[in-house]
Amino acid sequence: MKLTNFSERTIHVIVLSITLIAWIVLLYNPGNIMGVEHCHVSMAGPSVNSWEMLLAMNPLESLLLGWFLMVVAMMLPKLIGAIVHICERSFTHKRVLHASVFVLCYCAVWMLTGVVSTFIILGLNLLWPMSYVPAALVGGIALVWQFSPWKQRMLNNGHDHPAIAAFGGKAILDIARFGILHGVWCVGAGWVLMLFPMVLPEGHNVAMLLMTVLMISEHMENPEVPRWRFVARLKLVRIARYQLVFWWKSIYFKSMAK
Amino acid sequence: MNYTRNNAWNNGGSFNNPDLLWYAKAVGVMQSRKLNDPGSWWFFAAIHGEYIGQTGFPGWGSIPGPPAVPTTPLPAQSVQDMFWNQCQHQSWFFAPWHRGYLIALEAFLRQIIIGLNGPANWALPYWNYFGPNGENKIPPAFTVTTLPDGSPNPLYVKLRYGPQNNGNVYIAMPPVNAACMTNTVYTGSNAATPRPGFGGPATGFSHGGSTSGNLENNPHNLVHVQVGGFISNSNYGLMSDPGIAALDPIFYLHHCNIDRMWAAWNARGNSNPAQANWLNGPQAIGQRAFAMPMPGGTTWTYAPKDVNSLTQLNYSYANLQEGLPQQQVNALHQRMIKLDRKDMDIMNEQAGGSGGELIGANKESLRLTGKGTTTSVICESAGWKKVNESFMKSSANAIPDQVYLQIENVKGNLDANILEVKVNEKHVGYVSLFGMRKSSDPTGHHGGAGLTFLLEITDVVDDLHMKNQLNVENLQVSIVPANEIPSDEQITVGRVSLYREAVQ
Repeated sequence: MKLTNFSERTIHVIVLSITLIAWIVLLYNPGNIMGVEHCHVSMAGPSVNSWEMLLAMNPLESLLLGWFLMVVAMMLPKLIGAIVHICERSFTHKRVLHASVFVLCYCAVWMLTGVVSTFIILGLNLLWPMSYVPAALVGGIALVWQFSPWKQRMLNNGHDHPAIAAFGGKAILDIARFGILHGVWCVGAGWVLMLFPMVLPEGHNVAMLLMTVLMISEHMENPEVPRWRFVARLKLVRIARYQLVFWWKSIYFKSMAK
Repeated sequence: MNYTRNNAWNNGGSFNNPDLLWYAKAVGVMQSRKLNDPGSWWFFAAIHGEYIGQTGFPGWGSIPGPPAVPTTPLPAQSVQDMFWNQCQHQSWFFAPWHRGYLIALEAFLRQIIIGLNGPANWALPYWNYFGPNGENKIPPAFTVTTLPDGSPNPLYVKLRYGPQNNGNVYIAMPPVNAACMTNTVYTGSNAATPRPGFGGPATGFSHGGSTSGNLENNPHNLVHVQVGGFISNSNYGLMSDPGIAALDPIFYLHHCNIDRMWAAWNARGNSNPAQANWLNGPQAIGQRAFAMPMPGGTTWTYAPKDVNSLTQLNYSYANLQEGLPQQQVNALHQRMIKLDRKDMDIMNEQAGGSGGELIGANKESLRLTGKGTTTSVICESAGWKKVNESFMKSSANAIPDQVYLQIENVKGNLDANILEVKVNEKHVGYVSLFGMRKSSDPTGHHGGAGLTFLLEITDVVDDLHMKNQLNVENLQVSIVPANEIPSDEQITVGRVSLYREAVQ
C-alpha cells in the first residue's frame, strides 16, 4: 500500500537534498579528489617510479572518497523507488533504519567496484597520461555494452523489488540482500558509464552530468526481453520534454480562454 | 454516425441477434488474415498480449483449435514494438486503454460488415452477465460449432471451460459482483471506495504498481478466469491468461460490459482523474503511447483525454442501469451506525486517506498449495495502538481508521484460479490470479514483482471493536483457491501485511 503523500515527499526531499550536496562538493572538488594529478615523473611513461609517484600524488583514500561522492551524486536519485518500496513495507519506527541499511549495502557494492575502477583509472593514466585514448577505449566498450542483451538483463534484474520480512533480524537481512543485489545489478548495468568520466583528461563534470541523466533514464525504462537493441534509453529526457510541452500547452490554452 | 452498443442477449443471444451474426462473420474474415496483417484477428489479440515465441502451452503454437492460431509470419520488430503487448493492467490506464482497443477492433469489424452489405452503424454487443433471466450464461451463439449456414462458427473456441471446469460457461455470483459500482473515487479511497479506487492506482514515472483497481479486480479479472476455467497446468481456458485471452471472441463482449460499467459509473456523476498525467496518458510519463492500427493502414495514437467520455466518440450503450447496483450515498454514515455512533451526523462522506502505514505482517513467505494456506498476521503493537486510538477518539470530524490486508508479490505461472481470502474465518474478498504469469516475468512490465492484492478489512476491525476485542495480537488469514493447485505448480506469496489508513 502506498505511503502517505507526506511520507513520499519527505523521502524525495531528503534524497534529493543529499544528492545536491554531493554535487556541490563534487563541483567544488576539494583537494582535486575527482581527478588524477600528474608531474613530470608520472608523465614520463609507464615505469615502477612513475607508478609510485602517481600513487603518492593520488592517495587511494582520496580517489575513493571522490568515487563515493560520485556514486552518491549520480546514483542516489535512482534509489528513490527502492527506498519508497522499503518504507512502504516497514513499520514507521523502522523506516529510517531499513532505508539506511539498504543504501549502505548498495553503496558498499559500488565502493568495491570503486577499488577496482580506481586501479584501472590509475593504470590507464600511467599508460596514456593526460590523453583521450583511455576515454576512447572506455567509450568504445560502453557503446557495445550499452546495446547488448547482457546489459538489458542487468537492467531487468534491477527492477526486482522483492518481498521483505517486517520483523527483527530477518527484515535487516532481507533488506541487506536487496541492497547488495540492487547494487550488483546496478554496477553490472552502469560500470563502464561510471568509469567514462573518470578517464577523461578534462570535462569530466559535464560527462558526469550526462552519464547521470543516461543512467537514471535507463533504470526508469520498463524491463524488456534481452536482445541487441540499438535504442537510446532516455526516459528522463522524454518525460522532461512531454511535461514541458503539456505545461506550455496548458498555459497557452488558459491564456487563450481569457 | 452514432454507434449504439446493445445487449448480446437480445433475441436469446443466438444468431437470431443480428449483432452476433455479423460479429461472427466479420471475426471469420479477420481470422482468415495473416498474423502480420494489422487487420487480422491474431494481430489484434497480440496487441493485448502474446506468447508467440514460447514453446509449450500457453505458447500460441501449442493452443489446440479451434481457432487454429498461427505463429507466423511475424511483423517487423518495429511494428511489434509499437503495437504488441500493450494491455494496461494494475494501472489507472486500464479503462481508457481498453476503450480505445475496442473502438479500433470495431473499426476493422465494421469495415468488413459493410463490405458484406451489413449495417453501417454496427457496434460490438456487450455481455451483461449481471442481467436478469439467466444472462449470466454465455450467449449461445458462442457455444454452437456452426453458423446458421452450416459453416464453422468463428465464435466457438475449444479452450473455454467455465467456472466448474466442465465446459458449462456462466458467471457465478458470488464470487463475481458489481460492488465497485458503489465506489465514488477513481483513484484513492473514501468510505464508499476501498483503495486503490474504482479505476486503479496512479501509474508513476517509474515502472511498478501491481494492484488492480476495483473495477479491474472484480468483475473484470474474476470473469476472465471464470470463463476460461482450468483443466490442468497445460490446459486451461484462453480467457484465463492475458497472453492468450484476446484470441477468444467472448473477450471483446466482456470488455464491452466493463466499458459499459465505466460509462455507467461516469453517468452517475463520478469523475475521471483530472490530473494531466492521466489525461495525457503514458507518453506524459515517458512511456509508449497507446497506439492502434486502423483500417486504411493508419495508426490511431490516443490518450485517456481522447476517450474520456463516450459522447465525444459518438458511442452510447442501450442500457446503463441494468444489473448494476446503485451508488452507496452514505457509506460513512452507515459505518458510524454500525459502530453505535448514531449521534455523529456531521460527516464528510468524501473523507479519505492519502496513504497507509504498516501495522502488521506474517513472518515468512508462503507457498500456496493444494486446497489453501493459512497464515498468522502479527499485529505490531505501536501501529495497532493507533488503530485502537482512532476508535477511542472518533468524533464527527475524526473518523476511525480504515484497515487493509495486503497480499504481496504473488508469483507463479498458473493464472486460472480465484482465491477466497478470509480473516478470522470471516470472508473479506475474492481475487483472481489473472495476469500473474506476465507480472512474474522479469522481462515484463512489472519486472517480475508478481501481483499484489489489497483487500479492505475495515468491517472485520469494526466487528472486533464492537466486541471489545481490538487488543488482538494476531489475525488468522486463510487463502483458499477455487481450483486445487497442482502439486508441481509453484505459486508463492511474498508476504501478507496489515495496513491502517487515517481518514481525513
